[in-house]
Amino acid sequence: MTRSLAFEVFRYAMIMLAVAVTLIPILWMASMAFKPIPEWQATGAALTWWPKAPTLDNFRFVFGVSNSDLIVALDRTALKPILASFLAAGIGTVIAMTAGTAAAYGLSRFGSGGNLPLALVQLRLFPPMAVMTPVMIMWAFLNMTDTWWGLALVYGIVTLPFAFWLMKTFFDDMPREIEEAALVEGCSRARVFWRITLPMMRAPLASAALFVFILNWSDYLIALLLTTREWVTIPVYMASLSSSMTGQLYGAKAALGLMAAVPPVVLGVLIQKHLVRGLTFGALKQ
Amino acid sequence: MSMIRLENLVKRFGAFTALKTMDLTIADGEFVALLGPSGCGKSTTMNMIAGMETPSEGRILFGDRDMAGVPMGRRGVGFVFQNYAIFTHMTVRQNLSYGLRATRRPADEVVRRTNAMAELLQLTPMLDRPAAGLSVNILQRVAIGRSAIMEPAIFLLDEPLSNVDAAFRAVMRTELKGLQRSFKQTMVYVTHDQLEAMTMADRIAVMDHGVLQQVGTPLQIYNDPANLFVAKFIGSPGMNLLHGRPVDTGGEVAIDLGALGHSLPLAPEQAAAARRAKGDVVFGFRPEQAARVGEGQGMAMPISFVERIGARTILHLGEGAASAKTVFENDAGFEMGRALHFAPHPSAVRLFDAASGAALRGH
Amino acid sequence: MKDESANLSFRLTLPAQVLVLFISVFPLLMQAYISLTDWSPLSGQSWTQAWAFWNTFANYSDLLSDGRLWSALGRTAFVMAVCVPIEFMLGLGLATLFMDDFRGKRVFYSILIMPMMVVPAVAGYMFFMLFQSGGPVNDILSMFTGSPVTIAWLSNPKLALVAVMVADIWQWTPLMFLILLAGLVGVPEDQVRAATLLGANPLQRFTSIVLPRMKTIIGIALAIRVIECFKIFDTLFIMTGGGPGVATETISVYIYKIATQDLIWGYVAAIALAILIVLSVVCVWALKRMARVRA
Repeated sequence: MTRSLAFEVFRYAMIMLAVAVTLIPILWMASMAFKPIPEWQATGAALTWWPKAPTLDNFRFVFGVSNSDLIVALDRTALKPILASFLAAGIGTVIAMTAGTAAAYGLSRFGSGGNLPLALVQLRLFPPMAVMTPVMIMWAFLNMTDTWWGLALVYGIVTLPFAFWLMKTFFDDMPREIEEAALVEGCSRARVFWRITLPMMRAPLASAALFVFILNWSDYLIALLLTTREWVTIPVYMASLSSSMTGQLYGAKAALGLMAAVPPVVLGVLIQKHLVRGLTFGALKQ
Repeated sequence: MSMIRLENLVKRFGAFTALKTMDLTIADGEFVALLGPSGCGKSTTMNMIAGMETPSEGRILFGDRDMAGVPMGRRGVGFVFQNYAIFTHMTVRQNLSYGLRATRRPADEVVRRTNAMAELLQLTPMLDRPAAGLSVNILQRVAIGRSAIMEPAIFLLDEPLSNVDAAFRAVMRTELKGLQRSFKQTMVYVTHDQLEAMTMADRIAVMDHGVLQQVGTPLQIYNDPANLFVAKFIGSPGMNLLHGRPVDTGGEVAIDLGALGHSLPLAPEQAAAARRAKGDVVFGFRPEQAARVGEGQGMAMPISFVERIGARTILHLGEGAASAKTVFENDAGFEMGRALHFAPHPSAVRLFDAASGAALRGH
Repeated sequence: MKDESANLSFRLTLPAQVLVLFISVFPLLMQAYISLTDWSPLSGQSWTQAWAFWNTFANYSDLLSDGRLWSALGRTAFVMAVCVPIEFMLGLGLATLFMDDFRGKRVFYSILIMPMMVVPAVAGYMFFMLFQSGGPVNDILSMFTGSPVTIAWLSNPKLALVAVMVADIWQWTPLMFLILLAGLVGVPEDQVRAATLLGANPLQRFTSIVLPRMKTIIGIALAIRVIECFKIFDTLFIMTGGGPGVATETISVYIYKIATQDLIWGYVAAIALAILIVLSVVCVWALKRMARVRA
C-alpha cells in the first residue's frame, strides 16, 4: 500500500518519541551504574545525563571491594544473591518445564487431564500475596524457608501454568502423523517420545524454558516472603542495600539493577517470536 | 469515459522488474482478459489499475484523466479478489450494502439497491445469513454483487474462478459473461486459464515475464499467434513447432524439416514470408489442423502414444526436438509404433523466426 | 489400547497435578482453618493449635468494616481504571504504526518491547531514581518551564500514585503493543483493501473491519492486564513502599504489610480467602460468558 510522505514523517516522529520514552529510564540506570559517588545525588545544574568521570567502582563495590569514599563496607557481597537468583530461577524452570511438558504431552495426545488446565489458569489469576501465607507456614514447618530449593519449588509451581500452556500449544502444532508412523512401525510410546518427539521439539522447548526462566528471574515478592538472609535473590538484596550513613546507595543499586536487567532483556529478544504465545497462554500465535 | 489507457507502464520491486513497458488501451464496455502463467505481471498490472500499487514509470488514464495520485477508494473501480475477501463477520446483506453504507447513501436507497442486487444474483434467500458459513459459489456471487452495487465504471476481477470446482467453473463462465452484458462495464479479468479467457473475453492480452506478448480477439490469438510463446501457450495441446529451413523450388516454397522431409508447398502468403526470412524458421501448425495423407506425401512420424479422450484422439508423434501432436475427431485404429503420414493444411501453417521467435507474416 | 493411553495420560499429568494440589488445595484448607481463628505466628503456638484462638467469623465481619482494606481495594481499582485504558490506547496506536514495513521496523520493535522484560523490581528502582526531586524527570520538566522544578514526587500523596502509574504504563504498554500488533497483522489485508475500494475511509475501515476481527484478541489483552494490574506489587513497593502513609497502598501491599508487620495471620487468611473466592466467581462467570459469546 502506498503511504504519503506526511504519514511517514508522522510515523517516524511518533516512534522516535516512544523509543525515547522507552530508553530514558533504562539509560538513566545504566548511566547511574557508571557514575562515581559525587555524581550520585547531583541535582539541578550539576545533574548530567552521562557520567562525567565514568567508573567501575559501583560494580567493584557490590562485589566486596571497599570504596574509600564510602565509609560503609557491605556485610555481604552480591555474589551469593546472584547465585541464589540463578539457582532458584534455574531449578524452578527445570521443575516447571518437566512437570509442564509431561502434562502438556499427556493432554495434547490423550485428551484427558481433568480440571488441570482450568486449575492452572486460576493459579495464574490469584495474587501471589493471597496464597503465600500458608506457603510461608508450610515452608517454616518443613525448614525450607530461606533456602534456594524452597524458593525454586515455589517458582516451579508458580510458572507451571506458562510451561504447560506453551508446551501444549507446541505439541498441538506438531503433526501427529510422524509419531503415528513410528508407532505403526512398532516403537513403544516411550521410545517415540524420547527418540522422535523430544528431538523435534528441541527449539520450542528451549524457547519455553527461556520464557519461564525470565518469569522466575523477574520475581521479587515471593523471594521477599520466603528468604530472609542466606538465600535472598538479587531484587531483594538490591532493595535492602541502603545505609544509615550514606542513605540510598544509588550507584551500587543501579549497577546491581543493570546486572539483573540484562539477562532477561537479551533472552527476551532471542525468543521474540514466541513472546505473544507465551504471554497469552498460547491463545494467540504470532 | 471508462476507457482505460496504460502508457509505458513499468513496475519494479527492488531489483526485480515485474512489468516491462506495458501499453494497452481498453475500450469503454470492453471485456479484456489478462492471460499468462503465474508471475507474468498480470496481477501487478491489475493492482496498479486499482491503485493498490504505484507504477514505477508510465501513466494510467481512465478516459482522459491521469490516475496518478488518485487513492484506490476514489477511482470508482470494482474489484473482485481471488479469495473474494468477504467480510466474514457480517451477513450477506451487510456485505452487499457495505459500500453504500460507507459512502453514506440514504437508508431507503441502501435497502432498495441491496434487494435489487440480491434479486439479480439470486441471493435473496440468504440475505440475512452470516457470510462465514456460505459455500464458495455463493461467496463469489456476494463478492461480485458487493462491488457491482457501487455501479463502478470499471470492474476488475482477479482469478475469480480459481477456487471453484471444474463443474461450477463452466456455469460461472456463462454467468459472468451474462452479468457483464447486463452491467455494461469495462471489465478487466486476470486469469491463467486460457479457456476462461477464450470463452469470455472480447480481447485477450497475453503476458509473459512482465512483457505483453500479444493483444487480440480470442480467434486472432488462436489463429495468428504473434510469437512462439503465444503459439505454445494458447491451445490445448499447444501449436506444433518444428525447426526447418525454407527451400525455394522454383515457383513454390516448402520448408525443409531435416529428417522429417519437406513440408507441402506453402500457401502464397506464407511463401512470401518464408522468402523474406533470414536463416532458420520455425514451422508451426495446430494439432487440429493436420490431415492424414498417403505414403510418400507430407510428413511421416512414428506414433509414440495414443491418447483417447472420447470425442477426440490425440496422437503423440516422434520424440525430442522432432515431436508433434495431432488431434483427430475419429479413432481410425491408430497403433503405437506405426508411422503416421500426415500434412498440415497449407493455409493453417504459421512461420516464426527461429532466432527472435516472432511470427513471420506475408504482408 | 484405551486403558493404556488413559494410564499413560494419568502418569504424565501426575507431577503437575501433585504440584498444583501442593500449592492450591492444601494451602486453601489451611487458610480456611486459620481464617476462623485469631492465630498469629507470635502466639508461640504451631498453626495446628490455632483452634485455641477460635473466633468463628469475627475476621470476616471485621474485614467488612476495615476501611483501610476497602480504600486499598478502591485504590487498586483506580490504578486499573487509569492504567489499563491508557496502556491499551498507546499500545494500539503504536501497533497501527507497525502494520506495514518500513526501514528499521525490527530494531524499533525490539527496543519498544524491552520494558516488559525488565525485572519489575528493577523497573521500580529505575523510576524511584527518575522521580527523585533532583532527578531527571524534574530536569526534563524544567526544560519546558524554564525554571528549576523540584517536585517531591514520591513524598507527595497524590503525585506518588501518579508516579507509580507512570511506571506501570511504561512497563506494560509494550505488552499491549505486542499482543495488539499480533492481532492487527492477523487481519486479512484483502478485506481491508476491499473496504477501501468500496469507499470506506480509514476510520470506517478500522471500526467495521479491523475491530470486529480483533474482538477476541482485545479481550485477551485487556483480561491479562486487568489481572496483572490487580496483583500490582513489585514496582510500586520498591518505589514508595505503599506510602507516603497509605497513599499508594494497593491490595497486595496492604496484605503484605499486615502479614509481615502486624502478623495477624488469621485476619490475613480471611482477606486472602475472600479475595480468592470473589476472583474465582468472577473468573468462572467470565469464562462462561466467553463460551457463550463464542457459541
